[in-house]
Amino acid sequence: MTQPSDTSRPSGGHRSPVAAHPVTSAVIAILILASIFFAVWVPLFASATPKIGDFPFFYAYLLIYMPVLGIVMWIVIMLQARLRPRAGAERRAGADGGEVAR
Amino acid sequence: MSNVNAVTFTIVVVLFLVVTLTGFAAARWRRAEDMLHLNEWGLGGRGFGTFVAWFLLGGDLYTAYTFIAVPAAMFGAGAVTGYFAVAYTIIVFPIALIFLPRLWSIARVHHYVTPADFIRGRYGSRGLALAIAFTGILALMPYIALQLVGIQAVLTVMGVGTGSGNTFVKDLPLFIAFFVLAIFTYVSGLRAPALIAFIKDTLVYLMIIVAVLYLPTKVGGWGHIFSTAEAHMKTINPATHKPTGVFIPTTGNSQLAFSTLALGSALALMVYPHAVTAVLSTKRRDIIKRNMALLPLYSIMLGFIALLGYVALTDKVTAANVKKANNAQLAVPYLFQHLFPSWFTGIAFSAIVIGALVPAAIMAIAAANLFTRNIFKEFFKPDASPRLETKVAQWVSLIVKVGALVFAISLPKTFSINLQLLGGIWILQTFPAIVFGLFTRWFHRYALLAGWLAGMLYGTIAAYNVSTPTASHWGGSVNTLWGHTYYIGLTAVILNVAVTVVLTLVLRATRVPAGTDETSQPQYTADPADTPPPAPAAAVLGSDVSGGDLP
Repeated sequence: MTQPSDTSRPSGGHRSPVAAHPVTSAVIAILILASIFFAVWVPLFASATPKIGDFPFFYAYLLIYMPVLGIVMWIVIMLQARLRPRAGAERRAGADGGEVAR
Repeated sequence: MSNVNAVTFTIVVVLFLVVTLTGFAAARWRRAEDMLHLNEWGLGGRGFGTFVAWFLLGGDLYTAYTFIAVPAAMFGAGAVTGYFAVAYTIIVFPIALIFLPRLWSIARVHHYVTPADFIRGRYGSRGLALAIAFTGILALMPYIALQLVGIQAVLTVMGVGTGSGNTFVKDLPLFIAFFVLAIFTYVSGLRAPALIAFIKDTLVYLMIIVAVLYLPTKVGGWGHIFSTAEAHMKTINPATHKPTGVFIPTTGNSQLAFSTLALGSALALMVYPHAVTAVLSTKRRDIIKRNMALLPLYSIMLGFIALLGYVALTDKVTAANVKKANNAQLAVPYLFQHLFPSWFTGIAFSAIVIGALVPAAIMAIAAANLFTRNIFKEFFKPDASPRLETKVAQWVSLIVKVGALVFAISLPKTFSINLQLLGGIWILQTFPAIVFGLFTRWFHRYALLAGWLAGMLYGTIAAYNVSTPTASHWGGSVNTLWGHTYYIGLTAVILNVAVTVVLTLVLRATRVPAGTDETSQPQYTADPADTPPPAPAAAVLGSDVSGGDLP
């Protein structure tokens, strides 16, 4: 929505984070969409085999999905942090360290 | 009360007392100078960090729905109506990561307490804000009622109060539990469930780890459990002449029901007022994001709890008990009672009861915040002081619980999971206004209102018309449309969006006033804690570039 006015501006300054990092933004979008898609596209995993331990594939798949999702979400958050303007990122890093100590 | 196990009963009572004392003591936790402010009572001072937020959100989102309703649905009908919850709690996090940080930022900059506050500020529309507030309160009723049903299930299996034919005496322990909950919520506000959530989660994790490692070995191992469940789901139900349930959804219709239930529930969860309340109580924007990566840890647990429904099916004594009581809700409590030593049954039962009390408290607070901010203050007393606001919210939190009791008593309890899905149908209708509104002002306020009305009407009527052999109305949450089976919530919200888009085009073409927007684009990514205190930079920036955001 704000893109048109952004492109008319010189690079740097107030460019939108998405326009400034197209690859990172695309990776974020793909990771989020994929993590939704692979959980709701049932034909992909609605089968009893291959069994994982004693668990039919259908049941094991969604259980294993959870920790994988946690990791993917973590990657997305890290990538989103890279989209932030640099000054903000530095201040944030300082504040994060402080929060752990608290 | 002759068949009450003394050890189990004592442990539940003792842990309940501990929780009650914690609830009252919470009023002193992180004490603020002026507690009679809605920011304090209703949002815990907006100061919770990652650690507390993890417990609070976990305590908030994983409810009696998780511990009683999901395994009951697995026990009764298998994968589609039960195991979809696992897919649902997977996709809720990526979806939430898209919009919750924006909601947090805009609420922090403008001091919004409820989702309807945001709607009021974004669209300048009291009517739309009222619709959102009303829907929030309405949708929370069956969800709180579900918590009551969960507590009731545990009490029934414990044998407390069932000896009497008198309804009042029968439900007396439930009334006592809810009365205590109501009082400490009144006194301590959001601090009470936040502090109790620590106890809840410790007990729940203990219960689950032991249950998952110990129970399958007692009934013959996971292989036997799955083959028993598969065989059971294939047997023909004499009432419907159809298979009892679905073990693995292989037909197109069962897959569609599974996906739409998961997707609809996930879209609904984070626009529920109690989820928003917990989100807004956090200190920093990053805390929300971090929790979207940490909370899936909780969902692994949900997956295993769901499978306890199959374990209950495999244990012959439990299956017989449930059949005799004709109430699938009792599956997990009966399972614990039969296979755990009585002291551990006490711990597990406490975990379920407390696991219902924590979210019920947060839901009551969220509903109270909505009523106070968006109905009482907006329409009856615009000059209400923060002190009066807090007083009103405290009283409303009590009234809301009575409303939930009515829901719990009047709706059929055969599948309590429907209580949550029914609330989901309604709350989903607020999704377009809230979530689309976080990204764009293109949608017209009156179009959103009309879309909301269409979705509410269709969803309610469709849900009312769902019948089963045992219940003529409110029998389920999926219906068949053009030969396919969908979650009503999702079809209703699609209708909602369609109406909204068409009317927006019409209203924009005819230049109907769109209302003033008090927010600006940079405020949606702001964290006031990032900026030096003297200059609220987000607000300053906002006035500079707000032109780009107006229609």
